[in-house]
Amino acid sequence: MSHYIVIFVAGIAGSFHCIGMCGGFACALGVDPAGRIATLYRHLLYNTGRVTTYIFMGGLAGVAGQAISTQEDVSPKTSMEIMHNHSTLTNIGTLLPETLSTGQRILAVVAGLLMVVMSLQLFGYLQRLHILFTGLSSNTLVRSLRTLLNSRSRSATLAFGVFNGFLPCPLVYAFIAHAAASANIYSGMIIMVLFGLGTFPAMILIGGIGQVINHHWRKRAVWVAGLFIMLLGLITIIRGLFPLTGH
Amino acid sequence: MMNNSLENFCSHCLLSLGSQPTQRIVNGEEHAFCCYGCCLAFQVKNGSREEPEAAWLLVRLGIGGFLSMNIMLFSLLLYSGTLDVADSEMIPKFYWLLGILATPVIVILGVPFFKESWDGARQGRLNSATLISIGALSAYGYSLLMLFTGGKNIYFDTATMILVLFTLGRYLEASGRAKAVRNVAPLLEAERQSATVIENGIEKIKSINEIKIGMKVRVLPGERISVDGKVLEGISSTDESILTGENRPVSKYEGDLVLAGSINQHGSLLIECGALGSNTQWGLICQSVRESLSNPSSIQRLADRAAIIFVPIVLSITILTIIYWQSQIPLNQALLNGLAVLVVACPCALGLAAPLATALGMGQFLKRGCLIRGGEVQETLAKIRRIAFDKTGTLTKGATSLIKIENDDATQEAVLQRAAGLEQHSEHSLAHGIVSAAKERKLNIKKSELVQAVAGSGIIGYIEGELTAVGRSEWMKKQGMEMPSSFVKKIRNYESSGQTVVCVGWSGKIHGILLLDDMLIPEVPIMVKTIQKLGMSTVLLTGDLPAVASRIAKSAGIEEWEASMSPEDKCVFLEQWGGINDPAIMVGDGLNDGPVLARAEVGIAVGAATDLARETADLVLPENGLALLPWVISLSRAVHRTIVINLLWAFGYNIVAISLAAFGLLQPILAAGLMAGSSLIVVFNSLRLEQFPDNQVELSQGTSFSSETITTNYQNTFN
Repeated sequence: MSHYIVIFVAGIAGSFHCIGMCGGFACALGVDPAGRIATLYRHLLYNTGRVTTYIFMGGLAGVAGQAISTQEDVSPKTSMEIMHNHSTLTNIGTLLPETLSTGQRILAVVAGLLMVVMSLQLFGYLQRLHILFTGLSSNTLVRSLRTLLNSRSRSATLAFGVFNGFLPCPLVYAFIAHAAASANIYSGMIIMVLFGLGTFPAMILIGGIGQVINHHWRKRAVWVAGLFIMLLGLITIIRGLFPLTGH
Repeated sequence: MMNNSLENFCSHCLLSLGSQPTQRIVNGEEHAFCCYGCCLAFQVKNGSREEPEAAWLLVRLGIGGFLSMNIMLFSLLLYSGTLDVADSEMIPKFYWLLGILATPVIVILGVPFFKESWDGARQGRLNSATLISIGALSAYGYSLLMLFTGGKNIYFDTATMILVLFTLGRYLEASGRAKAVRNVAPLLEAERQSATVIENGIEKIKSINEIKIGMKVRVLPGERISVDGKVLEGISSTDESILTGENRPVSKYEGDLVLAGSINQHGSLLIECGALGSNTQWGLICQSVRESLSNPSSIQRLADRAAIIFVPIVLSITILTIIYWQSQIPLNQALLNGLAVLVVACPCALGLAAPLATALGMGQFLKRGCLIRGGEVQETLAKIRRIAFDKTGTLTKGATSLIKIENDDATQEAVLQRAAGLEQHSEHSLAHGIVSAAKERKLNIKKSELVQAVAGSGIIGYIEGELTAVGRSEWMKKQGMEMPSSFVKKIRNYESSGQTVVCVGWSGKIHGILLLDDMLIPEVPIMVKTIQKLGMSTVLLTGDLPAVASRIAKSAGIEEWEASMSPEDKCVFLEQWGGINDPAIMVGDGLNDGPVLARAEVGIAVGAATDLARETADLVLPENGLALLPWVISLSRAVHRTIVINLLWAFGYNIVAISLAAFGLLQPILAAGLMAGSSLIVVFNSLRLEQFPDNQVELSQGTSFSSETITTNYQNTFN
């Protein structure tokens, strides 16, 4: 369980990064003229959309991790059947299953490295790496978000949150890598739920206050988030390299 | 530590920039960002508002995505079996939940596809929407049936993810298309243009067909000028790049002429309308662009035909797949395999392969001021390996220029001064060459009296009281001018090499000879060299003497030449040169060789946009834009290559993907993702054409004068 607490705390600390980046959107969504409850509702919708995307990506990463780490079982069946075959994987309480296959160990090392790289990005290093995450469609994503931001309807707010979740973000990528390393849908989702919920308070607050906190405080918080992610990343790598050390 | 200056902070999140910030110009201001995410987010927040009508589509996609992601998550949990252990009694309730979540998705995202396939079906056509609709509806219907009968095989996730992926694919595809036509768009709106007209001191907005010649039109800064006309009031500059391909602003003062289609830049202008609609160059361009876009190339027609028979074939394969598999495996698995076939087949990629690339190619052509008739021409240009050039007005400037003065018993200046004194009264092209040579040397042109021109021979008159004559040597002798013996041999030599010799004489003696020549346009040799590097054979076709043809061909670097040819001879030559299987391009100025251009496989005119409308030329280069020729050929080849790659991809992809699906190796959601992805690959492969490099031949000075040349040409027609 302690791992999950780390993730949740990293989410809270990381949300100071979110305040900087996505906080602008929260401010832009602004205050609903219909009152405080309506404002809260609007921001809950937006954040729900955002976190749903995170959870979805976490779930997919978990499935992908599972598929990679069980590749010795590849047979001409649909992926759904593969999922069924491993229905007994109920190791949900642990970050990683106790016994690791080779695929899983490689996955853990790669994911851990990714997390370390992301934490370095949060510290302000390796900025050039963003090219790696520059999808061809990023301009389209920008245009879509802009269009939605200008629309005032409630459903647009939710849709905005959904798309917002796909914006490139080192924090999200780090946790998705972590979710993939867990090699399980359920834990992949849980990781992203916790991370997402961690970002909730700050993002809701920022929507209500409508003001960005002093950047020095935010900078420190982002460092803390970076440290947490680096820690998680290093633990993941170590687990991949020395699976017998336990936790 | 507090630093109030924001220079070292990210424009978006206001955090430190770090060592390697991302720089980007947004709304004309330079910004720095700490990360790519902030760069995107800042553009979302601060970019100008675009496409409000797209909002509804996005909201639908977002809400549909939200519901589908939840469905997907619950389904994944069910598949993973985690919930089996937790509580097996809960599972049917989850099925119901999935059904409830899926129903709005089918409505929100499915309806546009259902409508499209219904519309198609009523016209007797089956399209990709038909496949998607059948796929999504059957998965949904089957799952509903299972839900009510208590079955276990629920595929709501498949039904909804198919719709999400296809909607997403369509949206991205639409963005790609929008990008593709952005260059072409201004060239389609000539008829839709309106203008602010001033009548009796009142400003009124009128559409272009209500405006009449002589009306006063007000054009504000930033507006596109909708009529040809003369500036009555105001000072500004205009961007005529749409007409000339030249991005330099052209200054406009009172009395200057402005062209329809150009953009007024910084000052307000009042214009007297001189020509409008299809009488303007812009109108003609718009007309031909519209025609070319609606005129599919043969390769596109092939792809379209394939797409039409494609859908019924896919439907049959689907049915065969289900029939085969249902004897092997449970029905629900067999249906899933059929579903995979249905959604992995991609007629969209076939349909997209050619038009997108063609439009992008056309946009590139237009950006450089080249007008092209249709995708067919691009396709032919890409294949042709032979190119014929006309001489006068194409490779040479058309006007003769003075290259040498020989003098005897007089200074060179005196010879030219007197010659120009007489020739300033003549309209002959030789006369222009002589007068402009005198002006270039800043000579004082002598006054002449009682001037008389003798057609085909020369010109005679009095300068400073002396009888002066300029003309051919034989005629000069008849006028009683004595020829110095040193000139006789020189004249013979010059004439035998195809140069024009004009004698200048006064007081009974020839004092000088002027050597005039057709000047090769400076960029021609390098252009010809580049074209030959592209694997093209070159030939020069001219009506002039062999001596001239050989000399021009040699200095241009052209391999072959044919002299003393009539237009009819040129046509015959073009037909026989490479035969039917290896046709040739003809490049001309469009003035003298219209019929030849028309009969050539591809006729390219330099600087005669009206030819495109008269259907003599297939491609028109901007005034003085001959240097663009290698670029034109490379671009056509790049477009053709892109189309071929797209088609190979689309066909190959479909064959592989449908086989995999039919053999039961593809899960339907994966299949839908692959399919949507395949259209996007076609879109992105085509969009690479946007990055096609500019001209390989450096544009020489000649091109930068293009806009003025157009204005002068136009001035002649306007007055």
